[in-house]
Amino acid sequence: MSIEPFNRLVKLTARAFYDDITTKGDNQPKTSRSDNRGIAVVVLDALTRRQWVREEDLAKDLKLHSKQLRRTLRFFEEEKLVTRDHRRETAKGAKIFSAAVAATADGHHTKEGEEKIKLHTHSYCCLDYAQIYDVVRYRLHRMKKKLKDELEDKNTVQEYICPNCGKRYTALDALRLISMEDEYFHCESCNGELVAESDKLAAQEGGDGDDNARRRRREKLKDMLQKMEVQLKPLMDQLNRVKDLPVPEFGSLQAWEARASAAARSNGDSNGNDPSKSSQGLGYGGTPMPFLGDTKVEVAFSGAEGNGENIKSETENTSLKVLPPWMIKQGMNLTQEQRGEVKQEAKMDGSSAAVEFSDDKKSTIESDDQKNIQDEYVKAYYAALLKKQQELEEAAKKQEELSNPNISNGLSGMSSGRQVGMKSKRDEDEGDDDVDWEEAPVAGNSNEHYKVDLNVEADAEADAVAEDDDDVDWEEG
Amino acid sequence: MFFHIVMERNMQLHPRHFGRNLRENIVSKLMKDVEGTCSGRHGFVVAITGIENIGKGLIRDGTGFVTFPVKYQCVVFRPFKGEILEAVVTMVNKMGFFAEAGPVQIFVSNHLIPDDMEFQSGDMPNYTTSDGSVKIQKDSEVRLKIIGTRVDATEIFCIGTIKDDFLGVINDPATA
Repeated sequence: MSIEPFNRLVKLTARAFYDDITTKGDNQPKTSRSDNRGIAVVVLDALTRRQWVREEDLAKDLKLHSKQLRRTLRFFEEEKLVTRDHRRETAKGAKIFSAAVAATADGHHTKEGEEKIKLHTHSYCCLDYAQIYDVVRYRLHRMKKKLKDELEDKNTVQEYICPNCGKRYTALDALRLISMEDEYFHCESCNGELVAESDKLAAQEGGDGDDNARRRRREKLKDMLQKMEVQLKPLMDQLNRVKDLPVPEFGSLQAWEARASAAARSNGDSNGNDPSKSSQGLGYGGTPMPFLGDTKVEVAFSGAEGNGENIKSETENTSLKVLPPWMIKQGMNLTQEQRGEVKQEAKMDGSSAAVEFSDDKKSTIESDDQKNIQDEYVKAYYAALLKKQQELEEAAKKQEELSNPNISNGLSGMSSGRQVGMKSKRDEDEGDDDVDWEEAPVAGNSNEHYKVDLNVEADAEADAVAEDDDDVDWEEG
Repeated sequence: MFFHIVMERNMQLHPRHFGRNLRENIVSKLMKDVEGTCSGRHGFVVAITGIENIGKGLIRDGTGFVTFPVKYQCVVFRPFKGEILEAVVTMVNKMGFFAEAGPVQIFVSNHLIPDDMEFQSGDMPNYTTSDGSVKIQKDSEVRLKIIGTRVDATEIFCIGTIKDDFLGVINDPATA
């Protein structure tokens, strides 16, 4: 049951229709201070993040006055966006409810009238998604229909107004209004001549020229209809999207609470905040104890982790970091991931390697001065190594050139070319091997020749660039 | 729309009608009383088509009148919103025109008359198109659509429109 599309629908609706709703009564003077437009949107948005919520809690969360919130909610109840429930319950029961909601999104039942404590009426509210869907659709339908009808002058009952006494009539009264003397309608009370009222939408712009006014009105209506189509398009799209989705249903307050508490009980912390017990005074002698459940969860959380004392355990939890190149040295036993070669595959040996790694890190800090010298050495060494490799390659090439004419004498051109190529390749391989063999005793790590030396070569160069800055950093640390 | 329904009514009969043709007297009185009346619920009673049954008469104390419960079949006419009717124009004025479809009065206001028809006052007020090909005046027959009904306990009044496809004058007495 995905609630997200519906929440989006609610938010769009709030912004489309309830953006400048003020919940102030008409009798109250509107000042800039008491202007609370936009509250409706805030309240609706807040409700999308909740299910059933007590209105006092909501008011507290929104930092609104509860009266103001209630006025807004009552408005939404009339608009059929929100369902509300009122209930008499003890103060303690309410406390437990809030604690339960905070801890586990749990609910509770109150046993009414079992305590001597005063009963208060609490109100709860919740969005009614199914109804919201229908209400919004209906609203859009009505808007469109009204505009279209006005546009086509269809199904509109003409209204007549008496300029003298302001009495209004509709065309349905026409039979009573016709007078015998002339062809006009006359007011029943003052016998004044009635005038047809041009449309309510265009009533402001006095209807002087009959034709002109009508044309203007038509244009205005057409414009309005178009604007509506454009501006409400996101809302209509969302309605279409939501059409086939199952509607999230929280049920009535009681049902929701029962379900929520059942879910919490199956989680195993029913003794922590079973409010039916505590509200009867059996469990906790009046002190609200539901926080017990909360702490317990937390203890279990830290206990499962094992030795959660030092910083090393933290590095265990987090995935292994790629070591910066200046930290990688010969003799370090590093995983490939730490070298940045493998991204996420070799996580298996993470924990053990990390411990070693943190040890290594210490030694790195200590032998920071040494490192520079070592790096210099390594650089020089690899320069030499590279030179030697090139020499070997060159030698191999020479050999190849020597051997090439020999074989091509004996064999046809095509095959000879291939054979030569293969051979030369093997020569190269051999040459590489030779290099490695020479290098191995010096480097001192016999498990991964190729990787280590290739990397370190590159790293050493990068190292040279970034060395200076890094030194400063480490000294500070 | 017309309906054929069964209705019931208590008929009070003067003692002088008692005799051989008591039954005929009841029926003729029923017709006189009921036909042409209008009830908000059923509409206009157009005609009684038959008598289902006449119950046992009850003599009223003091007067000697007898009350018979009569069940009868009748045709009623009840206009509905959205219904298309043919009507005869009875009056034309600046505000629109009135028409009758049988017992029902219908008012078509001038903004529900097509925009190209203009009111012409004079001896015979009428609505005419600019080329004069179509004219609505008294006794014209028009086809119109009911867009609103006002149903009182004893009368039904409708407003209609001719501003839609296939609506308007169907037979003009002036040209015919």
